[in-house]
Amino acid sequence: MESYVTVSGLISQFLVGLSRAMILFIVSSGLSFILGVLRVPNVAHGSLYMIGAFVAHTLAMAAGGGAAGFWLALVLAPTAVALISLAAERLLFCHLYEREHLMLLLFTFALALILGDLTKITWGADYRSLVAPPFLQGSVMVLGTPFPRYNLFLLAVGPVVALGLWLFSNKTKVGKIARAAAVDREMVGAIGINVGRVFAFAFVLGCFLAGLGGALVSPTVSITLGMDHTIIIEAFLIVTIGGLGNMWGALAGSLIFGVSQSMGILLWPQFAIVFPYLAVVIILTLKPTGLLKSVW
Amino acid sequence: MTRSLILSRSSFGWSAALLLVLLLVPAWAGRFTIYILAFVFVMALLAMSLNLLVGHGGIYQFHHAAFYGVGAYTAGLIAAKTAWPVWVGFCAGPLMAAAAGWVIGLFCVRLNKLYFGMLQISLGSLIWIIALRWYSLTAGDDGIHGIRMPELLSGSVTIYYFLLAVVTVCLLSLYLVYKSPFGVTLRAIRDNPQRCEAVGINVRRHQLLAIIIATFFAGVAGVLFVVLEGSIFPDMLFWVLSLEILIMCLLGGWFTFFGPVVGAAIMVTLRTFVGSVTEYWTMVLGIVLILLIFFLPEGIMGINFRNWSRRRSRRAAARAAEDTDAAG
Amino acid sequence: MKKERFFSVGQLLMWAGCLLAVVMPAAAEARDIKVGIVDTYSGPAAVFGNDALNGFKLAVNEINKQGVLGGKIVFTTRDEQFKVDIGLNVAKELVLKENVDVLVGTINSGASMAISEAVAKKEKIPFIVWTAKSENITGKAGHRYVFSTAENTAMAGKSAAVAFAKKPFKKFWIAGDDYEYGHAIADAIWRNLKKIKPEVEAIGRTWWKPGEPDLIPYLTAIQAAKPDCIIFATGGVSMANVLKAIKTTGMENKIPAWIHTATDHSVLKPLGMNAPEGVMGTIQYHYYYPETPANKKFVADFQAAYGNPPGFPAFNAYTTAQLIAGAYRKAGKIDKEKFIDAMEGLKVDTPVGKVEMRACDHQAVYPMFLGTTKISQEFGGAIAADIITLQGDEVMPTCEEIAEARKQK
Repeated sequence: MESYVTVSGLISQFLVGLSRAMILFIVSSGLSFILGVLRVPNVAHGSLYMIGAFVAHTLAMAAGGGAAGFWLALVLAPTAVALISLAAERLLFCHLYEREHLMLLLFTFALALILGDLTKITWGADYRSLVAPPFLQGSVMVLGTPFPRYNLFLLAVGPVVALGLWLFSNKTKVGKIARAAAVDREMVGAIGINVGRVFAFAFVLGCFLAGLGGALVSPTVSITLGMDHTIIIEAFLIVTIGGLGNMWGALAGSLIFGVSQSMGILLWPQFAIVFPYLAVVIILTLKPTGLLKSVW
Repeated sequence: MTRSLILSRSSFGWSAALLLVLLLVPAWAGRFTIYILAFVFVMALLAMSLNLLVGHGGIYQFHHAAFYGVGAYTAGLIAAKTAWPVWVGFCAGPLMAAAAGWVIGLFCVRLNKLYFGMLQISLGSLIWIIALRWYSLTAGDDGIHGIRMPELLSGSVTIYYFLLAVVTVCLLSLYLVYKSPFGVTLRAIRDNPQRCEAVGINVRRHQLLAIIIATFFAGVAGVLFVVLEGSIFPDMLFWVLSLEILIMCLLGGWFTFFGPVVGAAIMVTLRTFVGSVTEYWTMVLGIVLILLIFFLPEGIMGINFRNWSRRRSRRAAARAAEDTDAAG
Repeated sequence: MKKERFFSVGQLLMWAGCLLAVVMPAAAEARDIKVGIVDTYSGPAAVFGNDALNGFKLAVNEINKQGVLGGKIVFTTRDEQFKVDIGLNVAKELVLKENVDVLVGTINSGASMAISEAVAKKEKIPFIVWTAKSENITGKAGHRYVFSTAENTAMAGKSAAVAFAKKPFKKFWIAGDDYEYGHAIADAIWRNLKKIKPEVEAIGRTWWKPGEPDLIPYLTAIQAAKPDCIIFATGGVSMANVLKAIKTTGMENKIPAWIHTATDHSVLKPLGMNAPEGVMGTIQYHYYYPETPANKKFVADFQAAYGNPPGFPAFNAYTTAQLIAGAYRKAGKIDKEKFIDAMEGLKVDTPVGKVEMRACDHQAVYPMFLGTTKISQEFGGAIAADIITLQGDEVMPTCEEIAEARKQK
């Protein structure tokens, strides 16, 4: 295979890795946000991602399957996921914040089990597939190699989401409070801010991002049961190597994952599966608390 | 303080009674009951070995199944691919698991909490990939099935007693570990690592030793699985199983001695019996877990303990009141 | 008076008991046949498990109208969640606790082989594998108690090889899921193709992890090498991902590609009008081909009962039910050993004609259909077109090959 590696092939491979990283970033930034502010390892994050994809499909089909349906789904599917998470937070989660980390892990695992089965009850086991709007279908030539348009779109969406998150956490009051709560929640509570509401908001925002990731990924994959499993472990590894709770860390981790995998395919295709794990091992061995500053 | 409970004297009586019942089970129970109990023994030992780290060591061992798999693959491959007696595999399995635990532990003990857990998942997954990819040796994801056991271990009742004996010995050994000065130090490290460091305890060395012990017993559980099922397959080393074992510990009560055993029994029973009624048994499990978190936060075995400690504190309070009365 | 009456009640009971004792053996003869189904009903493979179950139900409903040996076929299902250990748990439960007469299932090759060894062989209970495609099940790991009504990797590989030998391709690229199924199918094609047409050349191989969501990088790299044909050794979730990637990278109609079961409608339907054209696929069943009355009736009944057309798992399961009923009728009594003897060489009617359970390896003999995907306005998506039928004996490994493989083990 090595003999077929060309410069343009390398570059297009790199770009594909980057676009994959954008999906990973959107999902893992949500996870990281919840980890940072609430200190909760949210195992149900993958389930919400899966539900995002299923809802996106249902909405797009209900709207006729055209371009308008796609955009509608892209906005409404994450919103639906956010509403589900809001319900879970208000009804159950908000009573548990003082518990041990492992207990919270247990809770989110239980939530993942229930959401997984609810997805099966609601949508059944059939494979589904969402169609991107016509102008995002097919590929364009990048340096003589065809590159999928939809992946270009993802390359644009990723930075927009990153910018949005940055503006939110640095320029808005809620964002600043959330950041402060991540560092010292007692302090924030002491100055008279309703910490519970900040937590609810952070949880819902994180889950919204999971749903957005699911909706965005749906035109490129089959929407099936079990989607939750593959993403959740990747997302957890990403936030860990980036530095728990650090949004830019999630971005760095996603880039490392996406690119190491797509480059690994070229270098050592048989063992491309090893690269992300190897990346984690190397990074955590050299920097035991992740690449960037962790709030943990 | 409240977490240092090990096993009270009355619990010893209960355990002896339970052991007696289990010894008599094959006399009256159906073959499936015997089999599923034997399966529970394997899972119970696996969960118990993890709890040494999670419950007593405060160590986030997130990929414990990797060592269970190493034990099983070592024993299974020796039985299937070599002419050596299976007993060699039975001894090599736990030793290989402990060796893997030592190597992975060396990498991980420098890290804290979730970082430890995630690094451990990554390293464990590398072992999983070996089981998955080394086709010529491990037959990839299909696994190796129909591994022959010696005549001595062929009947289901014999297997039952063999498993019961091994698990009992292992649980006793784990109990001795808990009671030993090492166990006490381990819990002290869990509750306050900084202070332990300050008084001159080598925290990392203690944690590493705990990991080696725990992975050794996970390897024993792996060997027992091979004895029971005659199969090895890569799912045994997949992170999903690790999560399930962790749930068993938390479900049963991770600060108690028998908690993981109870958790394993409940998980397997739920899966088998609820699973035979509805395909949505995982949802049932989810609901059970949520109820548990809300109403029995210390796990199922935690109830006894909570009542006990409440009673004790009430008694202490009463005594204090008497003292003040007397003083007054 | 009272005493006497009491006595008479006792007498009555005694007589009833005697009567029962006489009748009991006769009643036991006419009992129902219990089939235990172990399959995947959760996770991505559930779609195949559900389809197979529907096919089985449909057949059982038909069979039970006349009954089998005076009784009916009844069944119970267990979800093995695509996990070997759970598969073993539930298979043992069905055999040891529910006392089923026959075990059937599953889509998971690993679980099928584990159950075959630890339950079927050990407990001497017939086990019919209906979706898992590993050739080892009835190949080198085969034994008296295991059967397969699934087309296996050896059959799929050989049929592709037979088809490729007739085409002008020389340079092949092999790509697929890096797991047993992918490798087995690729090996089967290559060893058969090399035999028929020694000048073929594999210019490269690519393996990705099963379920890999983003295949575009792989396909782009393969495209750059310009092979004559790409063999995709993939299945399940990855299949739809491959088809999508073929479409997105603009490979369709440029480089011919082959995927076993690419023409399966459970894969093509979700893609709708966006499925790639010109992808070759082999499969043992299409609901729209052959257009025989038997197939039309099967499809119409299936559609009426479950609201969608049957896929290949439904066909496999339907055939399995027919084989079970046929074998018990032939055996004349509910007996495991007699059932197995009756199964060997049994021929039953299926929607695609007579299907034989080969005696030498317990593998159902299916014809295979090679089709090429083509968008059809009528179907609202892609279907298989230009279908070529490869006869069962043309695509099956020979009994000698099987005997050789089993001896090596």
